[in-house]
Amino acid sequence: MSDILNKTEEIVKKAKGLGADEVVAKTTFGKYRQVRFSNNQVDITVAWNDYVTDVALAWKKRMVATQIRNFQDVDANIKKLMKLAKVSKENPMFGGFAKGNFKYAKSNADKRLQNLEDPIGYVSEAIGAAEKEAGSHVDSGGILFTKFEDVYLVSSEGPIGVDSRSAIELSIRAFSEREASGHGVECSSSLKDFKPSRVGAKAGEIAKLAKNPRIGEEGVYDVIFDPLIFGSSLGVWGSMVSAFQVMIQFSVFVGKLEQKVAPEFVTLKDNPADYSISNRVFDDEGVPTRENVFIDHGVLKTYLHNTSTAKMFKTQTTSNAGLVFPNPWNIEVEPGNMRKDELFKEVKRGLYLTNTWYTRFQNYAKGDFSTIPRDGIFLIEKGEVRQSLKDLRISDNILNMLNNIAAFSKERQHVHWWGEADPPSLSPYALIKDVHITKSK
Amino acid sequence: MNEDIIDYALDYAQKRGVEYAEVRAQSQIEEFLLLRSGILETYVSAVDSGFCVRVIANGGIGFASTNKWAQEEAKGIVDLALKYAKAANRKEKITFAEEKGVETKWIVKQKENIEDVSPEEKITKFVDIDKALASCSVKIAATMSQCTINLTSKYYVNSEGSRISATVPKIGALLLITVAEEGKTEQAYEQFGYSGGWEAFRKWNVEEKMIHNAKVLRDVITKAKTVKPGNMDLVCGSEVTGIAAHESCGHPMEADRILGREMSQAGRSFIYKDGPFWIGTRIGSDCVTIADDPTIENSYGFFAYDDEGVKARRRFLYKDGLINEFLHNRETAARLGTRSNASSRAVNYDREAIVRMSNTFVMPGDATEEELIKDVKYGIYMKSFTEWNIDDKRFNQRYVGREAYLIEKGELKHPVARPVIETTTPKFWTAVDAVSKKLEFDSATCGKGDPMQGVPADTGGPCIRLRGVYVK
Repeated sequence: MSDILNKTEEIVKKAKGLGADEVVAKTTFGKYRQVRFSNNQVDITVAWNDYVTDVALAWKKRMVATQIRNFQDVDANIKKLMKLAKVSKENPMFGGFAKGNFKYAKSNADKRLQNLEDPIGYVSEAIGAAEKEAGSHVDSGGILFTKFEDVYLVSSEGPIGVDSRSAIELSIRAFSEREASGHGVECSSSLKDFKPSRVGAKAGEIAKLAKNPRIGEEGVYDVIFDPLIFGSSLGVWGSMVSAFQVMIQFSVFVGKLEQKVAPEFVTLKDNPADYSISNRVFDDEGVPTRENVFIDHGVLKTYLHNTSTAKMFKTQTTSNAGLVFPNPWNIEVEPGNMRKDELFKEVKRGLYLTNTWYTRFQNYAKGDFSTIPRDGIFLIEKGEVRQSLKDLRISDNILNMLNNIAAFSKERQHVHWWGEADPPSLSPYALIKDVHITKSK
Repeated sequence: MNEDIIDYALDYAQKRGVEYAEVRAQSQIEEFLLLRSGILETYVSAVDSGFCVRVIANGGIGFASTNKWAQEEAKGIVDLALKYAKAANRKEKITFAEEKGVETKWIVKQKENIEDVSPEEKITKFVDIDKALASCSVKIAATMSQCTINLTSKYYVNSEGSRISATVPKIGALLLITVAEEGKTEQAYEQFGYSGGWEAFRKWNVEEKMIHNAKVLRDVITKAKTVKPGNMDLVCGSEVTGIAAHESCGHPMEADRILGREMSQAGRSFIYKDGPFWIGTRIGSDCVTIADDPTIENSYGFFAYDDEGVKARRRFLYKDGLINEFLHNRETAARLGTRSNASSRAVNYDREAIVRMSNTFVMPGDATEEELIKDVKYGIYMKSFTEWNIDDKRFNQRYVGREAYLIEKGELKHPVARPVIETTTPKFWTAVDAVSKKLEFDSATCGKGDPMQGVPADTGGPCIRLRGVYVK
């Protein structure tokens, strides 16, 4: 047992000694690196070193939490936290932390991401690939982000584990003209499958195709969603499956368990798998993570739970515990049986959208929302891209869009971008029928 | 906070031969309460403390941070920042606009010390809001309340002689409600923010506002009619005026966006060099003046010096309908040949300071709200908003009304369900023909940066009247 794991366990013992009923402590030693670039040049390179222990404890169904950043202050912090628990209010619905002794899969974290020697080299490669695709005048910006975390978790209820988590992401947006851009992302838990030139080429390809856009027309369209923009939808849907979102009615899935919410070929899972930038072998209660199918052949089968919400819903935890409430880790879509080009051929007159941002709701429970596509927006006629468009908005309803999914591609991509395509996902090209598009007047 | 380590880090950076160095430390006592339908889900109490180093070397910028307070660690992050700065290998070398070193301290005073308020009292405050909502004769299906308290100390030094200490308490609350009537639901959220102490609650009137929201949502379900789409007059309440000022004036006027530095995340701006819009171009009618001002006492976006040590002042972004002054930090100011106007903000020690708004608002006019409405034959009064968004060049925006009423022959009639204005920035601001004199503010968390930095900000304005805009 490492020194850090011992220190984490001491925190749990101290809290128990002071009278806590249940305690979970998770220490993270994180190294994060980021290169930000714009106008084809590096603007800043950033390094964060973060050392933190998250502690959650319960006393007579009162849940309190803290973060300890200095092991010298442990006694005072835990005493203060216990004092807070004793004056806090009871949550009658609190169902405790996970109990049991678990075995965990071995972490596949890539140690090369602890100290990446030449992060700027990856950026240059992506910029070069965008230029090769769209011409030397192309103007690119974006970020390269790397993460390496050592995680030590101890729970008074049995779980004890060590994990390492690594990730590398490159996001690049290339402008071929002032209003013609393409965006690509490359995400991986290791350097093995990480290809900066692939993402640069994709951004460049869309930027080239997006030249000379004209303002699009309002209407109802069949729309092909690129994996990146479909990842934004998956992020929203996945978040709405969190039991906490359901409890506060910030979800279209309230009261819809075992109901059909999408066509039969639609199967969505949450799975922090090896390839994913959110890969982990246990959740924040120490429960081994696993694959959870939440929409199975179009039917909503489960919400995502921690131990406490699972008790409320009379079910088992799905190993999605965060420090306070359950979260999705990584949304996966079961692939379809058409290739991307076959999917395009399905569209007589429609749109191909590549990215979006600023998704906002009128009512989360009803699912009325709008979002603003950006980067390449294209008119498709007879299966071919005919015209680059701009200045359009999707103004629709989540449940309608889920029900109108017509097909997924065989190809899928692991995507994550900023807060817009978050949590990460394994996302296909998706064809959705009858999407409502509006514009400024 | 160990200032000796900060001074050591700066000294060490200067000895390494950098062109510029700064060390910024921040310690904060943080509290976070989360309640669901009046039940406390969790109470988080923590202390975060650390520092960062930012250097310019060979025309590049390197930044490194840590929360380990040790000299050896300080040395390590200086070396790392310097290594990264040199590796940037930029063709266009980064410089900062000139500033004189400043030695000062600034403090936001609390009238009622947050430290003196017990956790029980803080919890009770929110439990009572739920109790009041439960007894307000509207069917509330769910609520969620969050309270965030940050008692922040800052210490900033740079290689030009600045040495600035600050103490800033900030308190924020976010409340979400779902109303269910006649088998239908409607939702609303309300955000509150304040720089100062626990007296914030006396100024906010949270219970009153949330009960009002609940009744508005009930009326939307039970009484509201949809609007027949078409061109009509639109009177925007201060909340709508404020969000429009923030989204379609504040953001596009951030010089880092104008120069492309946020191009892949928050985006660029419809304003750019040699484009159709620049300083002096008309963007609105004569009666549109929009300011951003960090010096408003107790505002959520208050600061006396920004995170590059520049003294805060009011900035007039749009003035008399013309594009007037961009928001700058020292880097963007140097690139555009001007001086910083103190717009550099970071949420914590582990994030780089970037160009941000503070409190953005439309300057008041001389009409009353009643006069604005009285002169409308047919139109909509959009008092508050629900869904909204704007594209990443800050040109195409949409606001959907939460509390809205039909105006006929100068009188308010029935509630209108979810009226929508979807228009461009110049169309919105040039349609304004009258501005009321009562200035009001709402609080918001402004998002920008990667990783995301949500900074406290106020948005505000008086009522404004837009003539002949398309509403659906």
